[in-house]
Amino acid sequence: MSIVQADSLVKKYGGIAAVDGVSFSIEKGQIFGLLGPNGAGKTTTISILSTFLEPTGGEAAVDGLSVRRQAGKVREIIGFVPQEIALYPTLTALQNLKFYGKMYGLGGALLDERCRDVLELVELWERRHDNIEKFSGGMKRRINLGAGLLHGPRFLLLDEPTVGVDPQSREHIFDTIFKIRDNGATILYTSHYMEEVELLCDHIAIMDRGKVIASGTLKELLKMLGEGGVIELEVAPPGCPAGLKEKIQGQQEVTATRSEDNKLFVSSSNSARSLPPVLKVLEQSGCQISSLELYAPSLEKLFIQLTGKELRE
Amino acid sequence: MPAIKKLWYVTAKDLLIVAKDRGAWMTLLVTPLVVIVVVSFALSPIYKGGSLHATMLVTNHDAGSLGKQLTDALAASPNITIQPASDRESQTLKQSGSSSGLSLVIPKNFSARVQAGERVQLQVYEDPNSTTSAPFLKGMIDGAVNRFSAVEVAAKVAVAEAVEQNRQADASAVASQASAAASAQMQNQPIQTREQPAGGVKTLNTFDIETPGFAVMFLLFGVMIGAEGLLEERDKGTMGRLMVAPVSRASILGGKLFAQFIVSVIQITLLFAVGHFAFSMDTGSSLAGLALMLVATAFTATSFGLLLAALTKTRRQASSIGILAILLMSALGGSWWPLDIVPSFMRKLGHLSMNAWALDGIKGIIIQGQGLADILPQAAVLFAYGSVCFLIGLKMFKVRAA
Ligand SMILES: Nc1ncnc2c1ncn2[C@@H]1O[C@H](COP(=O)(O)OP(=O)(O)OP(=O)(O)O)[C@@H](O)[C@H]1O
Ligand SMILES: [Mg+2]
Repeated sequence: MSIVQADSLVKKYGGIAAVDGVSFSIEKGQIFGLLGPNGAGKTTTISILSTFLEPTGGEAAVDGLSVRRQAGKVREIIGFVPQEIALYPTLTALQNLKFYGKMYGLGGALLDERCRDVLELVELWERRHDNIEKFSGGMKRRINLGAGLLHGPRFLLLDEPTVGVDPQSREHIFDTIFKIRDNGATILYTSHYMEEVELLCDHIAIMDRGKVIASGTLKELLKMLGEGGVIELEVAPPGCPAGLKEKIQGQQEVTATRSEDNKLFVSSSNSARSLPPVLKVLEQSGCQISSLELYAPSLEKLFIQLTGKELRE
Repeated sequence: MPAIKKLWYVTAKDLLIVAKDRGAWMTLLVTPLVVIVVVSFALSPIYKGGSLHATMLVTNHDAGSLGKQLTDALAASPNITIQPASDRESQTLKQSGSSSGLSLVIPKNFSARVQAGERVQLQVYEDPNSTTSAPFLKGMIDGAVNRFSAVEVAAKVAVAEAVEQNRQADASAVASQASAAASAQMQNQPIQTREQPAGGVKTLNTFDIETPGFAVMFLLFGVMIGAEGLLEERDKGTMGRLMVAPVSRASILGGKLFAQFIVSVIQITLLFAVGHFAFSMDTGSSLAGLALMLVATAFTATSFGLLLAALTKTRRQASSIGILAILLMSALGGSWWPLDIVPSFMRKLGHLSMNAWALDGIKGIIIQGQGLADILPQAAVLFAYGSVCFLIGLKMFKVRAA
């Protein structure tokens, strides 16, 4: 059963479309990943779903409620964690959480209890009386996330919640997200780190220039690359004999070759089948192989294949 | 009901932020107090006797007693040295190399003509370039001469009454008798010029003038900081977070403005309180009137802050445009010098600023001793002024950055 439905969303700034006909649906209990490079339109999309921005065109619904016409009701059931640290730096962690809790209509003992739960969840209960400005980047991120959880939202929108945090804090945040999901919430997660969405998300939509260019489970997306991958070889002596690259290029399933110092990269649509003939060519040319690595298909590769550019510049 | 509650939570949150912000209190209270104290002490000679010593040239052509009495009355002030001078010296304001800001020429038969009830003109020469001592000295002459006129009027009334009561009496004898009595009384009570600087009603404490002026200016700086905070809240995402929570735009903006209004009321009240308790600034006789003026001023300032935030896109813009607007309004509106001394078209222009209306009302109470009813027009104009700013600001302020 889908809880979120986005239908041909368009958002234009001046004549330029930041979001250009985006459609997807999110199943209840899913962690849905929106992956894309800077400027792809992730924040704009999430802003429309959170009712912050009105779309120029298209429609979206959360739990059957239109984000255009029933924004007030949508706001009661969603939690939103913005990309920037949206906290008051001179107030303490607890003061921040209490304030946001009150904005969601919480009060009294329930508010205290929810604040405690959230602070324990993000493991900052001990630091509750410290001002936010004294926190590290990762701790700020965790409170930023916590502020969106107070009212127990059914649908949680997270806009790059791990930007600029160390691996330990990131793991912390991931743990928290899994816990929230296990409690029954549905999550929309945006990121420009493919490893994050690979690890976290049940379903992934890849965005570029305002459009969804691929969508599916991780498995489905990787299948689009076929069984392809990259063979990385280190050869001695450095440099390849003339004509070697062309010879390799001609082998079965090989799609591209590239050399760099004494390294040779061979892209293939089926590395298992390309490997024996490639090794044979090298042997015939008198090249010694000092190391060999096979890279499995990845979202990074898919992105490059789809857009001709790297995910991270 | 929940909307009002949430509005109040926003207010309480903002008040908490201001309360914890030492820098804000520095700008809201400490800086203005330093400026008020420095300016008040520096300018005190202009408004009261203080340490001003001036020389006035006096040419007395009068053979009677009144000319001498007038001269003596002026000389009685510890701040003035009277120098007898020739006509020429008085006209050029120069005597043996040194110059003076003002001179007075008492005409021939001054006493006789005054006693005969004629209008007599005293000739005053002033240095057009002197901004401080000339107005001050002129005020003292006015004061002394006013006393004279009062004595003469009293004498005439006495004459009229005497004539009424005793038709047989010789009117002119009564008149000279009364006049003589009045003159005698004047000699017993030498003119207290220090009580009547610039012909005013009461002794002015410089703090009476400077505290309201600078308090209003720094109130505007306070709301400018508030406007920057409003833009920052919008751009830092906290407002975005509120916008997607179940809270109305009215509660968010209303709560923030209410907090700013409370801060403004506290700020201006504390500035006046320090002026009063530490520097004996007069608070007039109508505390209700003063309170109404301060509240009206704080309201209008808050609305000005909203308008500033609405008309600018970024914090930087708000502060650069804000500083320009506030300095302009303060200069035009009488925060730096009383509008009584500026040309009348500048005074009219000045009343485009909220400062002028606020200061008219506040000074009416603390300097002119007016009551609540007297300042209602100024309070009404301020509320109208503030409401217009408020409505335009509310309509134009964008909760989403462009
Ligand atoms: N308020 C705005 N006015 C004009 N253009 C905008 C505005 N907001 C976003 N854009 C443009 O829309 C495009 C998409 O921006 P968006 O913030 O949605 O990207 P994003 O995928 O979230 O990128 P990032 O990873 O950097 O956060 C960008 O080209 C951006 O310049
Ligand atoms: Mg973004």
